[in-house]
Amino acid sequence: MIEVSNLVKRYHRLVAVGGISFKVDRGEVLGFLGPNGAGKTTTMRILTGALPATSGRAKVAGYDVFEQPLQAKRRVGYLAEVPPLYEDMSTSAFLRFVGRLKAIPRKQLADEVDRVLATCNLGEVRRRRIGNLSKGFRQRIGVAQALLGDPEVLILDEPTIGLDPNQIVEIRGLIRKLSENHTVILSTHILPEVAQICSRVVIIHRGLIVADDSLENLTTEEMSLEQTFFELTQQ
Amino acid sequence: MRNILAIFRKELQITFATPVAYVALTVFTIVSSFFFLRILSEFQRQIMIATQMRPQMLQYMNFTDQVLQPLFYNVAVILIFVVPFVTMRLIAEERRSRTFELLLTSPVTPFQIAVGKYLSILVVVLVMVVLVVVYPVLVWAYAEHGGPEWSTVFTGLLGLFLVGAAFTAIGLFISSLTSSQIVAAAITFCTLLLLWVVGWAATDNTGVTRDLLSGMSAIEHIRSFAKGVIDSKDLVYYLSLVFLGVFLTHRALEAQRWR
Repeated sequence: MIEVSNLVKRYHRLVAVGGISFKVDRGEVLGFLGPNGAGKTTTMRILTGALPATSGRAKVAGYDVFEQPLQAKRRVGYLAEVPPLYEDMSTSAFLRFVGRLKAIPRKQLADEVDRVLATCNLGEVRRRRIGNLSKGFRQRIGVAQALLGDPEVLILDEPTIGLDPNQIVEIRGLIRKLSENHTVILSTHILPEVAQICSRVVIIHRGLIVADDSLENLTTEEMSLEQTFFELTQQ
Repeated sequence: MRNILAIFRKELQITFATPVAYVALTVFTIVSSFFFLRILSEFQRQIMIATQMRPQMLQYMNFTDQVLQPLFYNVAVILIFVVPFVTMRLIAEERRSRTFELLLTSPVTPFQIAVGKYLSILVVVLVMVVLVVVYPVLVWAYAEHGGPEWSTVFTGLLGLFLVGAAFTAIGLFISSLTSSQIVAAAITFCTLLLLWVVGWAATDNTGVTRDLLSGMSAIEHIRSFAKGVIDSKDLVYYLSLVFLGVFLTHRALEAQRWR
């Protein structure tokens, strides 16, 4: 479903991503881990077409994100690290706008917006101005926006950041439910979250992949995921 | 087409949900009505002088030439100040607040983004131009006989709209180059002002340089509109500025994909 090969991103002399390759199969939930500044967000931005790569290829749902950007983008829901929200719009106006951008047919738009509002528990703030909402609501509007149009692939950059414990449990449950028929890439710093949701883990450090394995293989009897992570990213 | 419409609607929503459009329209109305009153009272003074000193002069004086024509020039100058204020946020704000990422990752083309945003500000410009209609209508309502020449009013307003459209395209492009709204506004303002006054340099030159300098000037091209004439070379001038602005914006956004 997602294919990344030899992806490189350089900012002048700084190498953000130094040639990584991995694959995500349909229906898999991939935990994308790494210390801050490892290149997680950069990789995700390249996959969603927000950023061009210096070299290498990335394919989403069979479409190359550089050659056929529109086809690829139609199949991806993306929650950015900073959720892209227009502060001066109301929640439902914003979601309708995103729905139109994603070319959801006019007749289904209202229902689709209602669906994601309900999924993310945003009914009470649908008419409120986004700029006046708390972090938790804004984060959930970001998730709702990614779910619009029910894309096959979801790329979520720290989806549970800024949520309270109840909301975190809700969102995790939601992602687990979505994973039944979606392909998900999820980046997070909360390792127990990975253990609960993800079937596979890629750890990247300084722009390079240091581990790409199933969760079971990375967590053994004597080593928890924390210890493995610690070990692999300490140099 | 639907994507253009979606972006157009969103921009209009934001422009009219925030004070930006209202402040721009209010500033525009206050300054333009000040100009109108000044020009009108000057016209009145001249009529009085003519009535007392040389009554035969009166037949050469008319409202359209002596009030509306200068008013059109002055309103065009106000646009130099107001347009950067409404165009500065178009793309710069999206870059700063990271919402640009949403547009980049949505299935829309840079062309649709540029055109949708451009058209939304064109609505604001259109409202401004329609506000100018108030002045000739007021005079017509209170004049004892006659009133303005409506054909000249129409061409003058068309000229103003084209000036506004051209300025907006330039503002849009400059906004696409930076993430700072202040920088976008300052550079747009400077560009528009230079475009306006570049014709002044024509008088010091001769031959081709002179023609080129006066041909580049936005003020030179509104002259015939203000006089009631639609000249194709003026139309071409403004429409090419519109095209150039939107095209360059498209290139600037497209550059995001490979830069």
